[in-house]
Amino acid sequence: MMQVLLSGLAIGAIYGLVGMGFAIAFYVTRVINFAEGQLLMVGVMVAAWFARTGLNPWVAVVLGILAAAAVGAVTYLVAVRPVLAFDRFSFAWLVSTLGVALILENGAALIWGPTSRSFPALLTGTSVHVGSATLTLQEVVTIAVAVAAAIGFELYRRRTLFGKLGMAIAHDPEMATALGANTVLVATAAFALAGAFAGLAGVLIGPITYSNPYLGDTYGIAGFVALMIGGTARPAAAMAGGLLLGILGEAANKLIDTQASDWFPFVVVVVMLLVLPEGLLSVGAPFRQAVRRVRSPAGATG
Amino acid sequence: MTAASRVPAAWRPAAFVAALAGYGVFAYWAAHSTLYIQGLVLVAAVFGMLAVSLDLVAGMTGLYSLGHAGLFALGAYATTILYNDHHWNLFLILPACLLGVGAVGLVLGAVSLRVSGLYFAITTFVFTLVVTVFASDSTFTGGYGGLIGPIFPEFPSWLSWAGQSVIWACLIALLVTTLVVLAIRSSPLYPVLLAIRDAEPFAASAGASTAAVRIGVFGLSAAIAGGAGWMFAFQGIVSPSQFSWQVSVNILVMVILGGINTTIGPILGAVFITVFPAQVNINPFWQEVLFGALFVGVIVIFPSGFVGLIRLIGRQIGRRLGLAGPAAPRVEEEQPGIVDAAAVSAVARAEDHAVARSNGSGPETPAIDCRDISFRYGDGPLVLNGVDFTVRRATIHGLIGPNGSGKSTLVDLISGRLRPGGGSIEIEGVAVDREGVTKRVGHGVARTFQSAVLVNELSARQNVQVGLYSRVPRLAARSLAWPALPSARRDGRRLRQTVEDSLAFVGAREWGRVRLADAPHGIAQLTQLAAACAWGPRTLILDEPLAGLAPSEVEHAASILAKLKSSGVSIVLIEHQPRFVFALCDEVTVLAAGEVVASGPAAAVRSNEQVREVYLGQ
Repeated sequence: MMQVLLSGLAIGAIYGLVGMGFAIAFYVTRVINFAEGQLLMVGVMVAAWFARTGLNPWVAVVLGILAAAAVGAVTYLVAVRPVLAFDRFSFAWLVSTLGVALILENGAALIWGPTSRSFPALLTGTSVHVGSATLTLQEVVTIAVAVAAAIGFELYRRRTLFGKLGMAIAHDPEMATALGANTVLVATAAFALAGAFAGLAGVLIGPITYSNPYLGDTYGIAGFVALMIGGTARPAAAMAGGLLLGILGEAANKLIDTQASDWFPFVVVVVMLLVLPEGLLSVGAPFRQAVRRVRSPAGATG
Repeated sequence: MTAASRVPAAWRPAAFVAALAGYGVFAYWAAHSTLYIQGLVLVAAVFGMLAVSLDLVAGMTGLYSLGHAGLFALGAYATTILYNDHHWNLFLILPACLLGVGAVGLVLGAVSLRVSGLYFAITTFVFTLVVTVFASDSTFTGGYGGLIGPIFPEFPSWLSWAGQSVIWACLIALLVTTLVVLAIRSSPLYPVLLAIRDAEPFAASAGASTAAVRIGVFGLSAAIAGGAGWMFAFQGIVSPSQFSWQVSVNILVMVILGGINTTIGPILGAVFITVFPAQVNINPFWQEVLFGALFVGVIVIFPSGFVGLIRLIGRQIGRRLGLAGPAAPRVEEEQPGIVDAAAVSAVARAEDHAVARSNGSGPETPAIDCRDISFRYGDGPLVLNGVDFTVRRATIHGLIGPNGSGKSTLVDLISGRLRPGGGSIEIEGVAVDREGVTKRVGHGVARTFQSAVLVNELSARQNVQVGLYSRVPRLAARSLAWPALPSARRDGRRLRQTVEDSLAFVGAREWGRVRLADAPHGIAQLTQLAAACAWGPRTLILDEPLAGLAPSEVEHAASILAKLKSSGVSIVLIEHQPRFVFALCDEVTVLAAGEVVASGPAAAVRSNEQVREVYLGQ
């Protein structure tokens, strides 16, 4: 049981990081970047590529994270900002961010080939014993880094002006601009940070999955489910959602059958959607807000 | 605005027949072409059906469903399994698919529309994930490998000249789908659907049960997706990868790429997305990259899709040839015309009619009678506290008070948008406490909203038509075959006449064809008024109808209200301009901080010391 819990936490931390990536971009722009999973893949591929050129693997890993952040920022500027400038309430970003996902996935396959390549092993060798369970050092570091990232982000969001600016812009971009906030800069920074979270998840999972252009799909969906469980009110809640999803998936594998983690999380999500349409951990509030704005842009009654 | 609306009316039947004939020729050609082309046509037609059905919900009601791949899968799997394992007749399976998947759609809609918009997109997305995961992991669905679908029966020998039967079947299915959606688009339900999308309170106050209509439209869309699944089963193999969530997004891309909320756009998008990869033979990775760039490019550079592009080019060619005048509607800066006497009498007749249908309560029964109303939003402070509010028949009752005094809240309680925490509301002597907005319309109550809540992309006429929703019996069901129904032709004429009369009554007939997005604010206010009084309500609640009007327009509006009163309509008027209120109203109620400060004849209220203090600031 301990093994299930810890292994679940290790994989869940990855889901949580990707989920937080979704949430960070969403909480400023009210846009779900469907290329978030592909940003994880960018992190893995770029890190692996630099490592193959003989660079120090630690430097390669940092470059991978930076590359994911840069691609995230470009995604906002190219595929999201023009759409929102045309109509702030449209859902057209569903299509344009998916287009970015296609470009990234197949572009990576073009450049580096569609097959799995090696990823620099940094920490996998050592194992750590916790009670009856065994974890690799890599897994322990993953959990620690993910939790630290979540807490760090939440502190940053609440304590700094820049973090609060994000909330102001999400609430009313026009008002925030009128008050002197540079909405484009904040939103671009949010997408870059969201990319960095995905890239971080990528270099943490890379030693296990190796580098593969199709990683984005699997981890993108898992991260999205983590977002839905955790909610968007506080991006760090997506980390909690990811950890929960990881544990549930591992438990289902163990208790039902080895393929159960393919479908079990969805059952959890469906039950949640049916029983708690407002969502677990307050998924409802910002969604409803966005929804209300979409439904009655005229402002309804006073 | 469909493409058809720009064809002269007399040519429309001929153009329709010509288009149909062309389609028939294409079908004949396709049914005799190579197997490769037939495969493409079948898949393109199936995705055309899916895109048209998705546009029905996404374009007309603003619900971005990502569940269509899942619904599509249900149809395809049901067809294959019922045929292979249970040996059902294929043509019995089709109605079963339509009804069964339609029913699933109704349930899914009812569950996911509790909260709307993005939440709906997510719930339907999860639905698709669940269906595909279930299909991959179950044995009776053949797991990842899938199942081999049935073969479409050949034509009987006397029809064998027509070629491949399945091609005819799929093209006829696409045609029927398109015609159904076209019928809805040309019916009076269309403006109502757009109102539910863009101006939900307006649609509700016209008597449309917005939730039920949304769920119903989604159910219809789901049924079509089920039908597309039935058709798709004949393509060979039915396997989970054909119905993944990416397929859901692809269908949405087809809709947006072709042109959302257009008749032909979704089909163009479907054909392009299906045929392009098959015809352009390049490195598959490059092809996908190009596809992605196309998604981004179209959305960013040309958000109205192919149809928008075609219209733009068409307009420019027309302008260059000097054929068509400027596309912008004629907007003349003129004062609203003098009220047409004939139009007034037409509306007055409607009033008489309405009064005759009234529930027998005498003229002394107040139009509105609120007793001891209290209300709070959530667990916030009391917004209304012990408010009594009575409106006598055929009077104009002013409701005034500073910002935040609870005027709009009181009106929302009367019209049923909100439920009071305490107290009772009677309309014409009938307790309505348990009734929602839609039912209260049945008591002859109409209302307008503070900042005109209307559909900007529709004309003034179409907006007024939304107000007449409750006057067209069984509109939702009949809209499916609207152009073909003789009764609809009669109703349509009557409807157009009422709309014209009503616009003439408020003096905005000149503006009937103008899109509200292009009309000045005063016209939007008048349109709102016309929509509210078009169906002959007995009680009219007007929330700041004069806000933002020019002085001459205010006088004009005042004369309209006076005329309505003289024809027996009781009016509640929320207003900020005190001079105007005291001149026009018979009685006035003053609210301040959620309590009634004074209520009674206008002159008495005006001289009330307390009122001067809290409101007039004297």
